[in-house]
Amino acid sequence: MKNENSKIMTAKDAISEFVHDGDQLVIGNYTVGSCAELIYEVIRQGKKDFTLYSQSGIFDVEVLVGAGCVNRLITTYVLRAGGRKGGSAVERALNAGTLEIEDYTNFDYNARLVAGMHGFTFIQVLEGVMATDLFRKRSFMGEDKFRVIKCPYTGKDLLTVPAANPDVCIVHVQRADKSGNAQYWGALGSVAAAALASKRIVVSCEEIVEHDVIRSSPHLTIIPAYRVSAVVEIPWGAHPTEVLGHYNIDFFMYGLFVMADGTADGLKAWMDEWIYGCENRAAYIDRYIHRFGSGILDGIKAKAFYSAPANYGSAFTTRWDREGRERNMGLTMEELEKTLRERGKLYD
Amino acid sequence: MTKPYTLQELLVIAVAKEIRDHENIILGVGLPTTAGALAKTLYAPHATLMMESGIIDFEPLLPLNHIADAHSCRGFSYATDLFSAFTMTYRGFVDVCFLGVGQIDKYGNVNTTAIGDYYKPTMRLPGSGGAADFLSYAKRTVLTMLGGNFVNKLDYMTSPGYLDGGDSRDKSGLFPKGSGPAMLLTTKGVFRFDPETKEIYLAQIHPRVSIDDVKKDVPWDLKIAPNLSETPHPTDEEIDFIRRFAPAMSAGRELSLELTINNMMKKAKPT
Repeated sequence: MKNENSKIMTAKDAISEFVHDGDQLVIGNYTVGSCAELIYEVIRQGKKDFTLYSQSGIFDVEVLVGAGCVNRLITTYVLRAGGRKGGSAVERALNAGTLEIEDYTNFDYNARLVAGMHGFTFIQVLEGVMATDLFRKRSFMGEDKFRVIKCPYTGKDLLTVPAANPDVCIVHVQRADKSGNAQYWGALGSVAAAALASKRIVVSCEEIVEHDVIRSSPHLTIIPAYRVSAVVEIPWGAHPTEVLGHYNIDFFMYGLFVMADGTADGLKAWMDEWIYGCENRAAYIDRYIHRFGSGILDGIKAKAFYSAPANYGSAFTTRWDREGRERNMGLTMEELEKTLRERGKLYD
Repeated sequence: MTKPYTLQELLVIAVAKEIRDHENIILGVGLPTTAGALAKTLYAPHATLMMESGIIDFEPLLPLNHIADAHSCRGFSYATDLFSAFTMTYRGFVDVCFLGVGQIDKYGNVNTTAIGDYYKPTMRLPGSGGAADFLSYAKRTVLTMLGGNFVNKLDYMTSPGYLDGGDSRDKSGLFPKGSGPAMLLTTKGVFRFDPETKEIYLAQIHPRVSIDDVKKDVPWDLKIAPNLSETPHPTDEEIDFIRRFAPAMSAGRELSLELTINNMMKKAKPT
């Protein structure tokens, strides 16, 4: 039976319904805990023509660009596999003319999403980059990559960037409830801004929890349910990257990926096996264990280190004390109603 | 007689000595992480270590894999976000940050974005990440160049050093007075910047390296400090700390990668 309040879906259905060709797509995660399975599902469904935003375009950007899903990339940092002798999908696509890139600093990129998240049309950023090629060299954004304005209060030149409001954010977190309240902790980075700036949000999580868990730890919620389009429960959903409290980075699988990524053929073979060759995350983990055993995965599972509980309690939860008297006025309900009538406050 | 050391260990120690007690430090991956941990343990116990992802005041138990690595510590004191980590730098609360270098020019301007044409690069490097904003606003920046090059003209200027030298950085009005690169570490020596001209010069040379070895990497007539010193032999305490905390750092990237792959291949067994 479908629960009305539930946004729980499979990755396949969520991506199919909420991620469209030509979208501005933002990867919510920053360096750590990448939404690997949602990305793989985007690739498997052959979605294309994205303008892709990624704060730290490493693993996520390489596979999406390598699969030919991306026309335009807005980022601050890309992967280079194998050092000076190696290469990357981004480098290959730039040289083939199939990809345009706009480079920002970490702060500038994040500031665009912060502006978008709060409904502003632009935001002031740190003016130092005006001395650099980040400011001077522009690609598809042209004049709108950065603009300089006068501060109306000090008369100083201010560097600004335009707000970003991507069409859809895909993001992985530790836990969420069925209605989409998403909780994430650790390196906060720019995860909340990326999600909240976006028009649609698809959340994947290591576990779906009861709503009571969310209610008693609201400081961990980074995306409120009313903003979320779909929730997908995907254990190991960020593998081979890491999720705090669940598992560490898998250097073995990450190493296989990095070794493959240096050439187009290598990356294609890796993706054929680990993305196109696995219909979902369960199949991916099965294949992993079949190929390499379960020893590596067992070895990277987190040992618990719990946060001290924060006490959200208060003195009482009703205006009426144990004797049934209102706590400030000291009256029972009967006495209150009698007083209201005596004072002419009640109308029949 | 002190223990024998590796070159990587020597480099980590040279960087760690730039950190002073009670300072606020933003750590990058690789060598700076180990240097930060070493400094906090041996020379600067009250330093506050930070990552730009918003992990503030952590005790590193492991070398960081990246700058959002909450797995390298057990908890931390303040969880903020990337936006605030940079605005705290902008406001002058960060004393030292560390940046890697792809290309560097005479005045400490840095390229970490692309070799060749930016739009069709011969080699696409990572990009700015936090680099341009940190080199703009941290009080001091420590640069490390392990695989990069000295060049007359950068292919792309990612991060601002002393611009055209002299007082051009201060005069631009874009940066806090006195900020900028404080030193550059390479596998051959430690370089600093002339207080007046802001030109880079060789201040300290590593053991077994000659001045000619250093000069042949630099396409201009590199100035040498009159009181050029030699990087001291690490102490046993320093070597022991690095080898225990970051054994792969002691081994160096290529050797540790080779040993890791061999070991992982043995461990990966089909069921």
